[in-house]
Amino acid sequence: MNAKIQVVLCKCCSEMPKLLNIARLEKLASESGNVLSVMTLDGLCDGKELTQIVAEARAKEIDRAIVLACQKKDVSPALIKAYRRAGVNEYLVGIVNIREEVVLPHTAEPERAQTKAETKLLAAIARSRLLQPLERSSEDMKTRNVVIVGGGVAGQAAAREAAKYGVHTIILEKTGKSITAPGVVMPRARLIGGKGYGGNFELRIKVGESVEDLGAASIVVASGGGWATLKGALAKTVKGALPLYEFYQKLQLDQVPAGTVVFMDTPDPAGKTLKVQDFAWDDTLETAIELKKKRPDTAVFVVFQEMRASGLSELAYKEAAEIGVKFVRYDRSATPKVDPKDPTVLTVKDLSQGEVLKIKLGAMVFASIPASQDNQIIAEALRIPMSPDGGIRRGSIQRGPVSTPKPGVFVCGSALFPKSRDVAAAEGEAAGKMAGEFAARGSIEYGGIVAQVTQEKCSACLTCVRTCPYEAPFIGTATKAEIRVQACQGCGMCVGICPSKAIELLNYTDDQIMTESKTLLGGDF
Amino acid sequence: MIVAKRKPLNEIAEMLAPYKKVTIIGCRSCVAICLAGGEKEVKMLVSALKIKNKRDGRKQQIEGTVVERQCEKEWVQEIEDEILDSDVTLSMACSLGAQTIGDMYPKHLTFPGLNTGIFGVPEEQGVWSENCVGCGNCIIHTTGGICPIARCAKSMLNGPCGGSANRKCEVNLEVDCAWSAIYDRLKLQNRLDLIESVTPAKDWSASHSGGRRVIVREDAKLTQHQKKGKGVT
Repeated sequence: MNAKIQVVLCKCCSEMPKLLNIARLEKLASESGNVLSVMTLDGLCDGKELTQIVAEARAKEIDRAIVLACQKKDVSPALIKAYRRAGVNEYLVGIVNIREEVVLPHTAEPERAQTKAETKLLAAIARSRLLQPLERSSEDMKTRNVVIVGGGVAGQAAAREAAKYGVHTIILEKTGKSITAPGVVMPRARLIGGKGYGGNFELRIKVGESVEDLGAASIVVASGGGWATLKGALAKTVKGALPLYEFYQKLQLDQVPAGTVVFMDTPDPAGKTLKVQDFAWDDTLETAIELKKKRPDTAVFVVFQEMRASGLSELAYKEAAEIGVKFVRYDRSATPKVDPKDPTVLTVKDLSQGEVLKIKLGAMVFASIPASQDNQIIAEALRIPMSPDGGIRRGSIQRGPVSTPKPGVFVCGSALFPKSRDVAAAEGEAAGKMAGEFAARGSIEYGGIVAQVTQEKCSACLTCVRTCPYEAPFIGTATKAEIRVQACQGCGMCVGICPSKAIELLNYTDDQIMTESKTLLGGDF
Repeated sequence: MIVAKRKPLNEIAEMLAPYKKVTIIGCRSCVAICLAGGEKEVKMLVSALKIKNKRDGRKQQIEGTVVERQCEKEWVQEIEDEILDSDVTLSMACSLGAQTIGDMYPKHLTFPGLNTGIFGVPEEQGVWSENCVGCGNCIIHTTGGICPIARCAKSMLNGPCGGSANRKCEVNLEVDCAWSAIYDRLKLQNRLDLIESVTPAKDWSASHSGGRRVIVREDAKLTQHQKKGKGVT
């Protein structure tokens, strides 16, 4: 292969020229095979010097590039755009993060920094030689349907917001209750199955007794939550144990019994199943504060093993502590107990103080409760993961609070876990916006770094089919695995587990990874 | 399928330690599918051994390759050079593959890289259960499709025994009682009368007790004439 590589060194951060011998790096690069152009620039971020890169890349007919720079967000898109102008495929532009990985950690050791920079440069060149240009394609969505599963508070909010994007909203409501929402409302309709991928889902729904197919560009799961009975050792022993949301309602109606109130993570502290979602902690803290403010004389405890409030709710720790809510952390090895003979006293060892507390219980409130039974069916139909306490699992609380790991499927309200109406409505609006925007795009982009099957090696063992969270691999008519490229997210899970090495991730092939690793670490392995 | 499990790295390294040139041979059939000895496992073992050798300061040349089915001579023959060029061959197939290489090249050393375990079904990814022991005389039509020879600790033909409690086996409370399962299945099939009929002692001559077993399909065998035509004797 005749790779024509350009190496660009960015001096932007002032530490780099002070610490590293730029001339030596330039020499090393220019003496490497396939490197036709070496440029040192003052700073890539301001964009002015990108024109120089383009001109040089064009003049030397460069087809791939390695840029030693930093990981600043605006650097790589601008670079890729510039290289595209020079006719370089975006998948052949590699950035070596010289600032965060070399300059900053080794400020006091110039020699180590130099060696590391040189090794990383050589490894990047070695890998670059083996890379293939990749393309992305697009596919039109067959429908503009946004299907919303559930017509409660969250589902209605989702429909209102999605409709603003000019898409066609369809609410599947399992009951026969009348719902005012834009688009179509299908009463007595349930989601029972589905296939496809974000942009082109084919859903199977049951309306009354008949089964129908329904296309969807995107989906909002707003199936609500169940107010299931508490399960777990403590809930069984303590009389009047309550789930958080029931307690919250009682608090609004001033029906909370007198005496000490203990908020606890789970009624099954020794078990493995019930975990507390982060949002439940937000609500626990808010409820504890509200209770303490309403009834300052009531002793309020929050007993937990591990607590995590999200975002600004972290301020609630401080506020709660300031108004006298007591926090007690316990350890898994000494879980809180209630003596069945005297179920009004909770014994807990405070991890921070080391002392054993005996708390006389007025009410005991648990943050974790099992979610709706419907979630299981919906999760199986859409092949999306569930959280340990039976809700639908969101992607990431920070980056995708209403997204599921599957592109095009969004989730909101009590389907995540039971919550108050206002929070459910807010989440519904967010999920509706996401789903509306997704469907309004009209087409999906796919390709680039995706999995690829070498069919001669495949023994149709189904391991990839079982492993992929996006349903990209399937066994085709030739009884060999194939990849549904539109669904492939390039995560590499099938590649890692394939026992026959029949699947590779484009531009992360074994050969490319091993060549890079061997240059980095030296030697043969 | 035949389900096997790779031997621990240290055991393999110790086996191979005295030899300078090692060829590791995987198999694309059963052991690949049960994630024990396919191309991926071979490549990983080659890398692991090289890293270990580097750490232990041992010089050894290690190559890895994989054949379609190691229990068949024609496939093994394709890599004859790689086998004979090494001091020792580590087979990453089931013991059938290892013995095929051993029988073909008796002077050459062939060691097992896997422990061959069971005829298993994948219950879920990564979990295989033994449902057949190859007794040579199948009776599952009378036991609701569940094999008591493989799935009952005592291989009882008339069960359950007195040690069965709450659908579990007395040998290990994690293990389901096969005869409880047989009872449930027969009940489901409305054939509970079968559990009351006594099955006489089994003819075990088709099982391993009679020494090495050979299955022959006369009509498929090649004649001497045909073998000669193919250059096989």
